[in-house]
Amino acid sequence: MIRVEQLSKSYAGRSVLRGVDHCQAAGESVVVLGSSGCGKTTFLRCLNHLETADTGRITVGDVTIEGGTVVAAERQRQLRLRAGMVFQQFHLFPHRTAMENVMEGPRQVQGRGVEEVEAFARELLAKVGLSEHAKHFPAQLSGGQQQRVAIARALALRPQVLLLDEPTSSLDPQLREEVRVVLRQLAEEGMTMLLVTHDLRLARQVADRVVFFDDGRIAESGPTEQMFQSPMQACTREFLQHIEG
Amino acid sequence: MGVWQRLWFLALAAWAALLPLGGAESWPEIQRRGVLRWGNDAEGGAPYIYHDPQDADRLIGFEVEFAEALAEQLGLKSQFVQNNWDLLVPALGDGSKFDVIIAGLERTPENLGKIAMSRPYFAFGQQLVVRIGTTNVTSLAELKGQAVGVLSSSSSHRLAEAPGNLEVRIYQDNVNYFRDLELGRLDAVLTDSPIAQVNLEGNALLKKAGATFDPGYYAVGVRSEDPLLLAQVNEAIAALAAAGTLERIYAQYGLGGAEQRALVTWKDAGGPVRGRISVWRDWRVYLPILLRASVTTVWVTCCGMILAVALGLFLALTRLYGPAPARWLAVAYIEVFRGTPLLLQIYFIYFGLAQQMGLKLTAGMAAVVSLGLNYAANEAENYRGGIQGVPRGQMEAALALGMSRFLALKRVILPQALRISLPSITNDFIAMFKDSSIVSVIALVELTKEYQIRAIDTGDYIGLGLMTAGIYFIISYTASLGARRLERRLHRDSR
Repeated sequence: MIRVEQLSKSYAGRSVLRGVDHCQAAGESVVVLGSSGCGKTTFLRCLNHLETADTGRITVGDVTIEGGTVVAAERQRQLRLRAGMVFQQFHLFPHRTAMENVMEGPRQVQGRGVEEVEAFARELLAKVGLSEHAKHFPAQLSGGQQQRVAIARALALRPQVLLLDEPTSSLDPQLREEVRVVLRQLAEEGMTMLLVTHDLRLARQVADRVVFFDDGRIAESGPTEQMFQSPMQACTREFLQHIEG
Repeated sequence: MGVWQRLWFLALAAWAALLPLGGAESWPEIQRRGVLRWGNDAEGGAPYIYHDPQDADRLIGFEVEFAEALAEQLGLKSQFVQNNWDLLVPALGDGSKFDVIIAGLERTPENLGKIAMSRPYFAFGQQLVVRIGTTNVTSLAELKGQAVGVLSSSSSHRLAEAPGNLEVRIYQDNVNYFRDLELGRLDAVLTDSPIAQVNLEGNALLKKAGATFDPGYYAVGVRSEDPLLLAQVNEAIAALAAAGTLERIYAQYGLGGAEQRALVTWKDAGGPVRGRISVWRDWRVYLPILLRASVTTVWVTCCGMILAVALGLFLALTRLYGPAPARWLAVAYIEVFRGTPLLLQIYFIYFGLAQQMGLKLTAGMAAVVSLGLNYAANEAENYRGGIQGVPRGQMEAALALGMSRFLALKRVILPQALRISLPSITNDFIAMFKDSSIVSVIALVELTKEYQIRAIDTGDYIGLGLMTAGIYFIISYTASLGARRLERRLHRDSR
């Protein structure tokens, strides 16, 4: 479902990604761990072309883009429709209600019919537990509620993959759980997810596999329990000890 | 000067004129001082008062020479005091600024109702001016339905309005109507004979049509409380006329002739004196006149603002998202239009384009275009501020949904930017509403100009001023109330 080959990127002469390879099957949930500045967020943003890679190749579903080339607008759009994105800061549209936020993509970008989209949006809001809040504006919702709307908004495009950039890290600890519940349910339903996070509890709950980034490379990768219990690399051990305190 | 300053200044000047401060005779004081201070506006132009082309610091003109001769005759030195022509009568006030007005002030019933006037020192007539090719025009009667340019609040203005079947265009000065006549925007100009005399000299495009008519006189303006000074001035003028001094002065400017010689035997025939009109009592007459003029102000502002908003948005988007050369052009446009005076732009668009490129905009169109182009620069910066005030993540979130940049702007960025920019847009609208008074320089009579004309006419600066200010205030306050409602609606989402 996701295939990344030899992805490299540098900002102003500083290498951020150094030849990353990654392969992920449909229905698989993968969590990317690593210390700040190791390139994991850049990696995630390259996957839906919010960042452009210098070299390498990215395939999501049936769409492939090459790093270092000009990507046609239509192909870029196809890639983004296949890879839904959830941001750390939610980035809901403040001038639209929860319902309108969820409907925006399917209506404006995919041009789907209003009745179908409305029914689907209600279904998604119910799924994230916010049926009662359909008419609320983002400013009237808590952080956890906003992030759940943002997840519904991304799902509304019927993406094949969901990319999540630290979905719980800007939330108060007591609000994180409501987002974890939603993501765990999605994982159980077989959604293909790629998460960047520091939230180890979330990682344990949703990830089939953990990928550990260090200095723009994948240092280590393996099944979740194995990675947490017996990491091979010194840097991984150090990171886990540090973060679990 | 903005409208408000102008209104305030007029109101204050009128106040000063009304207060009975200067009860005392000033002749003894003038004699002690040994100087006669006379008020005029150096912008009057040839042949009245203008800067010597050979020596830019020296004022010349027949009025300057007359004032000097008059002072000498009175045994005094002469001192010129600069004052805006429109405001000479109120500024005479208590005599603290200058003692007399020598400024082509006509001996009309209106002026005699406000101040005392001497016997005339200069005689003139009304002269019709047309383009060389025009035939069959010798009087106003043949100009039915055609456009005639006149100086605001002059005898020509009154005469041209009297038949009621001419399209009268009102100018602020004695030069621009000749330009518009040359350009074909006017069919004729009606003006005082000395002005026609000087401006037609060496002009291959224009000619006089018919003889002068409706004789008028220029006289020295003196405070009503100064009969002693008035008597002295009258005696001196009679002496200068009898000695042939006046005619000698005027002959140097090509203005001599039988009319001037007749001044020697002039007798005051009495005649009507019009008192100050109370605009309050006659509000039924004056309020509709002002309201009609405010329609021009409103439509010029609304059309100008529509142009400014549309062009400003285009400029802001080009500056932010356009390719490099287009971006530079947008920046250049904004800086040039922001960095040069609106008045200059109006002249450029109205006269400059017509002369150099043959693009003859009507006064209304030129006003809308100038205001629109000028304010577009402000609007562009407003919108740029608004767009940049939207968090970056909004654009990313929109792009991540598969939107194109254009769709993201339309659906996500601009609605939020509008909210941020709306208070500045309202501000600009009200500013333009007031700035629109500046378009009276291209013969468009809007609210402030109408006020000025009527105030000079009636002498009631305060009553009309309050009425005019009231109209401005009601309209701009309504606009800002509307904007506040809109703001609240746009902010319905933030609790």
